[in-house]
Amino acid sequence: MDRTLVDFVKALRTAEVKVSPAETLDAMHAMNIVGYEDREFLKNSLGLVLAKNPEEKETFDSCFDRFFTFDKFQSSMSDEMEDDTSSAFDDDGDFDLSERGENQQSGKGGGQGGAGGGGQAEADLEESTLQPTSALGKLLMSGDRTELTIAMAEAGREVEVNQIVVFTQKGLYTRKIMDAMGLKGLQDEIGELKAHGGVPQSKLSGKLKKARDQLREKVRDYVEKQFFLHADESGKQLREELLKKVKLSNLEKRNFKDVQEVVFKMAKKLIAIHSKRRKTYRRGQLDVRKTLRSNMQYDGMMFNIKWKSSKVDRPKVMCICDVSGSVSNYSRFLLMFLYSLAEILPKVRSFAFSSDLGEVTELFENSNLEDAMSKTMRDYGNGSTDYGQMLTDFKNHVLDDVNNKTTVIILGDARNNYGDPKAEILREIYDRAKRVIWLNPEPRMSWTVGDAEMKKYAPACHQVEVCNSLVHLERVVANLLKSVS
Amino acid sequence: MTLKNEAKLASVEEIQQNFEELHYICSLQIATAVFLAYHLEKPILIEGPPGVGKTELAKTTAEMLDLECIRLQCYEGLDEAKAIYEWKYGKQLLYTQVLKETLAEILDGAKGLTESVAKLHEFGDIFFSEDFLEPRPLLKALKDPEGCVLLIDEVDKSDHEFESLLLEMLSDFQLSIPEIGTIKARPDRKPLVFLTSNNTREISDALKRRCLHLYIPFPDAALERQIIEARVPEVAEKLRNQLVAFIQELRDMDLKKVPAISETIDWARTLILLHTESLDPDLVRQTLNVILKFQEDIETVEAELQSVTNKALKES
Repeated sequence: MDRTLVDFVKALRTAEVKVSPAETLDAMHAMNIVGYEDREFLKNSLGLVLAKNPEEKETFDSCFDRFFTFDKFQSSMSDEMEDDTSSAFDDDGDFDLSERGENQQSGKGGGQGGAGGGGQAEADLEESTLQPTSALGKLLMSGDRTELTIAMAEAGREVEVNQIVVFTQKGLYTRKIMDAMGLKGLQDEIGELKAHGGVPQSKLSGKLKKARDQLREKVRDYVEKQFFLHADESGKQLREELLKKVKLSNLEKRNFKDVQEVVFKMAKKLIAIHSKRRKTYRRGQLDVRKTLRSNMQYDGMMFNIKWKSSKVDRPKVMCICDVSGSVSNYSRFLLMFLYSLAEILPKVRSFAFSSDLGEVTELFENSNLEDAMSKTMRDYGNGSTDYGQMLTDFKNHVLDDVNNKTTVIILGDARNNYGDPKAEILREIYDRAKRVIWLNPEPRMSWTVGDAEMKKYAPACHQVEVCNSLVHLERVVANLLKSVS
Repeated sequence: MTLKNEAKLASVEEIQQNFEELHYICSLQIATAVFLAYHLEKPILIEGPPGVGKTELAKTTAEMLDLECIRLQCYEGLDEAKAIYEWKYGKQLLYTQVLKETLAEILDGAKGLTESVAKLHEFGDIFFSEDFLEPRPLLKALKDPEGCVLLIDEVDKSDHEFESLLLEMLSDFQLSIPEIGTIKARPDRKPLVFLTSNNTREISDALKRRCLHLYIPFPDAALERQIIEARVPEVAEKLRNQLVAFIQELRDMDLKKVPAISETIDWARTLILLHTESLDPDLVRQTLNVILKFQEDIETVEAELQSVTNKALKES
């Protein structure tokens, strides 16, 4: 059972329930106390020990149900087997009755001796005395579903079906399990029976064949279930890793949902790291007044020295995004990222432009991201990019709000269509703001090619970064947070 | 671990029954949590919306086991002096003053500072012994000779630092006091610890790892009816069904704060005082402030009062 528990914990981990080894040990203790007789009780107990927040509890519940579904599986299997045996008898004769009834009747038939039906019954009798010899064949014919299920689970464990990674491996593992259960013996037997050629032999071989096919079906189901349990989520993780690295402009609309999930996850991680409020501030110079005051109680002896401390504020972020066609995707995810961080970055103001600049802060705060993004695109997305106009607008409307606590992030490719770059305005912003960060989705090589004005803008920025994937975005935002806390 | 009323914790059903006798109706999960907490000797971290009976669970457990319930209410700025121990500074000062003469006698004949100090050392750290120690809830809970129920209420309100302070207590049932050493709970009298949290912030993984995690959601209609029956037995069955159905309806609405069990109980009591026999929209409107705590919510509900009431009446 310990092994089963470890497997279960592994399944939980792939489903993104964080379970530490210590918790696994706790779960074992709990199991020892609780026992496995009462399924609901066991589920509740393990849930208490292993899942540590409401979301995890939900995942845990579904995982538990999926992992421990043997009994359901058994009954469905036995049902089908029963159906099969009865239908087999239907073919033989017209016996709709249970096996025992059939035996009685066949006995009678033998007694009457003569009628065609009786003759068939005799054949049946003979057939039932002919038993399969291979281990798997015996198991299949004995009709003990529990044994069969256990054998399958054991075979699965033997071939380590829980290592399954991608769905193309399903066939492989199905075969492996069948082999481990002794498929070869069964095949040989079927072959032998066929070669023998007698009526009962061929009947038995037919039955065995049917049972084998059914078993294969069941094993495939089992592997499928295992795949969902062990690999589905790890496949997802793989995809997420890929999404983080892929160029944002190459993302297609159908990926947006996944990306959003990834962004939220990254944001959550950053929040967890940075949400802790630090009590110790940066220590400054000696605070004479405070020191004198607090040392009065010691007769003016300078016993308890006080320092001037400066409280570190969270940054005020202003984010200026180019939303013209070529860069809009990047803007979308930068904004998504920033607004996912609302908990630790409360003061984000965002602006969008392609030529004229407009503030979209309220839009993003009040409606969901998709709507806000599409509205922004509609209002600002058309027109050719004009960075000079954008900077002029910024100077006229917003520059007064920029102070030494403001971080200005500009996202754009700096392709100005050969217009006036007005880099001197950026310089002005640079002088007033705490930081100016320029994120450019294009690779560094093309920053000076064609109409790109990066060479003029770069000196007026504190930091210039290439930014074209989620990994880059995460790095930029993490730095932003680090520089302040 | 053996507590005096251990038999009451023998099985989950037993616990559920005993709770019921004390008018605390609980789901199977809750009873399982108490059962495991006792047998695994682990604290329970209880989360859930306010008013679902998190604190009540700890109190009821204490009552059931006939143990003292020591409560530590957490708030921002709570520190070890308030939670674990404090030196009785005044007493120390007073004693030194009173004993001044005795000290003079003891030191009589000692020459020089070294000798006096050496002599004083013979008496050990009398002023930093347990006599001068003011135990606070956590220490009290450890030293309780009978064992006790320790309730650490609203952990999420305390600082991160305090959370770390709790770790030693929660995993080993011991506390370290630099001047005295480590104080351990008697192995057979470990306190039953309950921590509650309203989830205003995420509790650290380190703390969560050491606890059983119990999430108490709002109860379903059947359970809530049972609770009302146990808590306010005066309410007639018809009214009870109606008011529970009404509250369940409210919980599906988009409100700032949805009514919890405690509000349902209050409302039931109010309706009894008003000699109500059946719900009607006017009456609900008058008593809405008992179950809803924000003006906005009251306005939202008032707008749909008629339909919600009708629905509740139909359902019950």
